Amino acid sequence: MKYALKFLVSAALLVAGANCVFAQLKSDVAETKPKVVSRVTKVDDAALMAALKPNGKPLVVNFWATWCAPCIEEYPDLVKIDAEYGDKIDLVTVSLDDVADIDTGVPDFLKRMNAEMPVYLLVSQDETALIAKIRKDWSGGLPFTVIYGKDGSEAYFKEGKFKSDVLRAEIDKTLGK
Amino acid sequence: MKRTVLMLAVIAGVAIAFGVFSGSGRADGIQIGAAVENFSLPDLNGETKSLNELKGKNGAVLVWLSAQCPVVKGYNDRILEISEEFKAKGINFVGINSNATESLDWVKSNASEVGYKFPILIDKNNVLADKFAASVTPEVYYFDAKNVLLYHGAIDNDRSGRNITTQYLRDAADSALGGKAISTTRANAFGCTIKRAEKQ
Repeated sequence: MKYALKFLVSAALLVAGANCVFAQLKSDVAETKPKVVSRVTKVDDAALMAALKPNGKPLVVNFWATWCAPCIEEYPDLVKIDAEYGDKIDLVTVSLDDVADIDTGVPDFLKRMNAEMPVYLLVSQDETALIAKIRKDWSGGLPFTVIYGKDGSEAYFKEGKFKSDVLRAEIDKTLGK
Repeated sequence: MKRTVLMLAVIAGVAIAFGVFSGSGRADGIQIGAAVENFSLPDLNGETKSLNELKGKNGAVLVWLSAQCPVVKGYNDRILEISEEFKAKGINFVGINSNATESLDWVKSNASEVGYKFPILIDKNNVLADKFAASVTPEVYYFDAKNVLLYHGAIDNDRSGRNITTQYLRDAADSALGGKAISTTRANAFGCTIKRAEKQ
């Protein structure tokens, strides 16, 4: 009887311990789940304009390049905003880097940033026309960030480096918070 | 009540006149076909130079530059080539640096490294950039001998220089000097934003 009780207690402890270890393992697996690093898709003017149509939620678009110092400085904020807002918004970025960097410079940078948002690399046939289509009075200076409401109307734009709190407030406004 | 409404209308009028409600926060700049007033700025040696003393017999090209912008670096060879070509046609290049983040020493050493053969003026607190609504580097403004703006924007249509199909600035000058209408008077291109001084 005494041995049976000892056996039961030991077995219970073993099961509990195993559960703990298993739970810890599960949590470790969740934490170390590999991130889906942004894929860079080459687009022309028409494909970019099609990609800039909101899909039932606000769309944040950032134009940048690895050669643009303020773009690089603000990119970590975009990564944070993308993670924080999750499915509430769509966030895409458009790189103006040389197409030769599509497999090297641009993805290397995105990997360092832990970026997960869709990234387009624009190969434009007519930059002047495209810039004017995106915003009539945009000079083409980078970085450039624009928020579209879910109906496609422009809710906010910023030429030059954005302020993180201002961009968040504008996204919230567009979400109707 | 009437007085309040009147005062509000006056305030709104003044605000609009001073561009307070402008979306970009900057004035519209110089319009094509408009004449720019003469202006003076210090060059890299601290000597004050005016547009009227620097322009050529057929006009001038103001080119906004930067010591650090990779797009400018990519254009430097073309800028050197076109500036020499234009000088021979009586159109003088004048470089402008309005970047608050670039010191005089930096701009000076960069200019000698690149080998610009035209003067570079320092636009402290981006006063001229604001007046012209210049936003990116490189960005050019081409004026005739009477300081009338004929072309504003990109030098050509390809940053890399490998696939140039339209030479906006060269075409504008060729047309103007040949007495023809300029087909493209405004062309934007992606570039580095001018780093303006923080407003106090």
